[in-house]
Amino acid sequence: MLAIEYFEVECPEPLGAAYYKQISNDVLLDHNLLRVISKLHVFIDPKIPVFVAVGTLKKITTIVRVRDFANVNPLGDKITLVISDETYLAPMLKIFWQKYGKDRVEQPDRFTVILYNTEADAREIEELIVADPSESLFKDLIYAFRLIAPEGFRVRSEKFSKERFSFVASEDTLAEDLNPLIREKFALIGEKL
Amino acid sequence: MTLVPVTYKGGIYQHDTIIDLIEDLGGYIVQKHIIAAEVVLQCFVPRNDIELISRIAKPLFGEVTDSPLVGTEIAVVSMSLEIHHLPHPSCDFAEYARRIGAKTNMVSPARGPGKRISQLSDEERDVINEHDIAVLAFGNFESCIEYKWPALRRGIEVPIIVMGAPDTETLKRIIHPAAEGYVGNVGRFMRRGKTEEEIGILDKIVAEVTRVIEIKREEIAKDPLSVSPARLMDLIREHVPAIHDVTSPTPLTVQMEGLRVKLPYDTFAGDIREIEIEDGITVADVAGVVPSRMRDYILVKILPFSETNTVV
Repeated sequence: MLAIEYFEVECPEPLGAAYYKQISNDVLLDHNLLRVISKLHVFIDPKIPVFVAVGTLKKITTIVRVRDFANVNPLGDKITLVISDETYLAPMLKIFWQKYGKDRVEQPDRFTVILYNTEADAREIEELIVADPSESLFKDLIYAFRLIAPEGFRVRSEKFSKERFSFVASEDTLAEDLNPLIREKFALIGEKL
Repeated sequence: MTLVPVTYKGGIYQHDTIIDLIEDLGGYIVQKHIIAAEVVLQCFVPRNDIELISRIAKPLFGEVTDSPLVGTEIAVVSMSLEIHHLPHPSCDFAEYARRIGAKTNMVSPARGPGKRISQLSDEERDVINEHDIAVLAFGNFESCIEYKWPALRRGIEVPIIVMGAPDTETLKRIIHPAAEGYVGNVGRFMRRGKTEEEIGILDKIVAEVTRVIEIKREEIAKDPLSVSPARLMDLIREHVPAIHDVTSPTPLTVQMEGLRVKLPYDTFAGDIREIEIEDGITVADVAGVVPSRMRDYILVKILPFSETNTVV
């Protein structure tokens, strides 16, 4: 909870608000998304019915390089990589196969990868970009908000950009112009649409 | 002789003695679980003999406890099977009730979630009606519960217990027509209940279910069943050997007024109808053998004394 600057749930029913604050917190925490959100305002009115979530995102560099999860040890014409975290092992191997060919990449066990005659120096390999988790960030956020919103609210309108996002859902047809509603909620967190 | 539902827990050593004793006393074993070196028996035993069983079980470190939910089949109606509603809190309760002897089934309407769009189909309604009691797990908003309740309860004839986030008093106020039981402070949440308060809520639900079940038992006692469901279970086990090949956890599920036989209706309904209970009275004389809406199972509905004029 400390990582987030502003987090409020607004609802005409105080008990519902308390429950939805808990749900939002649990879901965002489970999906490891609290670290990317800086402000979040959720508005739910079951009588209209509508669910609105607006917020701002933090700028974080999330690019994962080989050096973040592996030790690179050159020895003669072979380079040994000792892996400490397997999460990005598969995309890394894919890049090596593409770059150097399968015959030069060997993986004797789960935590070791050996490269033969690659002509690349250790530094170059350390700096290789393996993955960018922010690519799937919007997908993850939309998924998380779909879980937070009441399940019957299946008509959705989402806008996600690098700095801010809005997510509106309802079980009825949404109003044609949602901007006034979204603008009003953004004003509560001190942001402009 | 009044049979009461109890649970026996004890070591596996010489547990046959207890099984034989219960059967000799005229009791019935509904379910038997062997977990490592422990045996759990859910059974019906004569009220006056509980003390005798406890005495004989004592040297075997076995204990007998009351469990009013043995021999009941409960429908836990979750508004959907999506991650929004499962596994908490519906499965939490379903699992908790299983531990104390009830047979719980999760039932979920295809179009359950939402307020205006929520609905119950005839098949779903019939499946719920095949249970002894239904526990409806609602969500967090009282206006939603108030709005969708009439649509969801229509046609359900078994007692209903309403679960929802508003407190019990609020639920009683907003639910029209009235339900048989209410448990407040348990809405939609998306994490495992760990605190004492959260686990305490499960006990509250069990207490409410037990209260409603006891009322139903009293009502059945006013016009007793022609044959005890547990006795019928024993007879089917004896006369329909195919039941031993069924891999379901409970091939024969005992209910309060009948039982569910997990065998195909077309093949076995005739055999079950012809089973003789005693003195030429067959199952068909005292019970209706009908197809269940759940898969192709058989549902045996035992008729009350007032309809058959026989008690066997």
